[in-house]
Amino acid sequence: MKTRMLLPLAGIGLLALAGCTTVNSVENADKQGQRQMVTDQRAITDASLDRKVSIVGVNQSMTPGGLLKVQVELQNRTRSLQRFNYRFEWFDANGMQVTTVASALLPDQIEGKESKFIFGLAPNPNCKDFRVKFIEAQ
Amino acid sequence: MKSKIIFSLLAALPFVIGGCATNAHYVETGGRESVVTVGQINIQDYIQAANAATSDLLASGALDKVATPPAVLAISRIVNNTGQQIDTDLLTKKIRVAVLNSGKAQTTTTMGLGGTAEDPMAKGLQQENEFMNDQKTTRKPDFTLSGKIIETTARAGSTRQSTYSFQLSLTDARTGLAVWEGEKEITKQGTRPSVGF
Repeated sequence: MKTRMLLPLAGIGLLALAGCTTVNSVENADKQGQRQMVTDQRAITDASLDRKVSIVGVNQSMTPGGLLKVQVELQNRTRSLQRFNYRFEWFDANGMQVTTVASALLPDQIEGKESKFIFGLAPNPNCKDFRVKFIEAQ
Repeated sequence: MKSKIIFSLLAALPFVIGGCATNAHYVETGGRESVVTVGQINIQDYIQAANAATSDLLASGALDKVATPPAVLAISRIVNNTGQQIDTDLLTKKIRVAVLNSGKAQTTTTMGLGGTAEDPMAKGLQQENEFMNDQKTTRKPDFTLSGKIIETTARAGSTRQSTYSFQLSLTDARTGLAVWEGEKEITKQGTRPSVGF
């Protein structure tokens, strides 16, 4: 009787695990590059998404052409693939938003336990500030 | 009494029908609610491809390497190698707008593929101006933008998959060498057309 009960449970457990794929990674321990980290300010309104895909840190650099390049490191805290959308917003020296194709909502995905980077490039040299929005995919 | 009730019901009927007839509403172009289809290039695919190409092109600094900035760009052939009839301006216009707004390049509208001008009136006025002043004022393009859109499909059981490759090349008009090349691949999978990303 006990085995009869355990077998379906084991089957359900296997099915649940089938959707979980995590990522193993390797990288050089002695880093040559130095990331210029940005002191960020966060507004979390979707705690569910934040629990799944969290923001690790933000760093920035300037291109030779004078454009601000921003890189955001994300970490999937779950063991399953997560889909999300993000959007970079850019602001000039007066705090006015600059809207271009660079402000498009972009779909992305991240594997279980994976750490990945997304990046955005300012649409013009006048853009000084940025904001990145994350929205859970439908 | 009966006729009064019937009359009221009849009067209310158009409003009820009007309310149910359509669920039309505005959605953000390329937003979360956009329709996603596997066998077609959707507007959000063009936006994604243009975004990737523009970021990559501007970050490369290729447009900065001209003697007199901003660079002048001419749009060459964008080959459509998909099974669909598409207007490649959906891709190129977004790139043109972005590079113009960046201040890195300007696109000529009086010089086009096969001698055809995008803006014939501007070309006519330019030629008239050159004739009147007896000197060439036209600035030749520093770069040309060409590319190809390729579709690859696959099917396994009821799952269908389409990959759209947006390939672009920026060629230095003086040397004929590609100084920047970019490719953005977008893959969509589904068993039937679905809504949302």
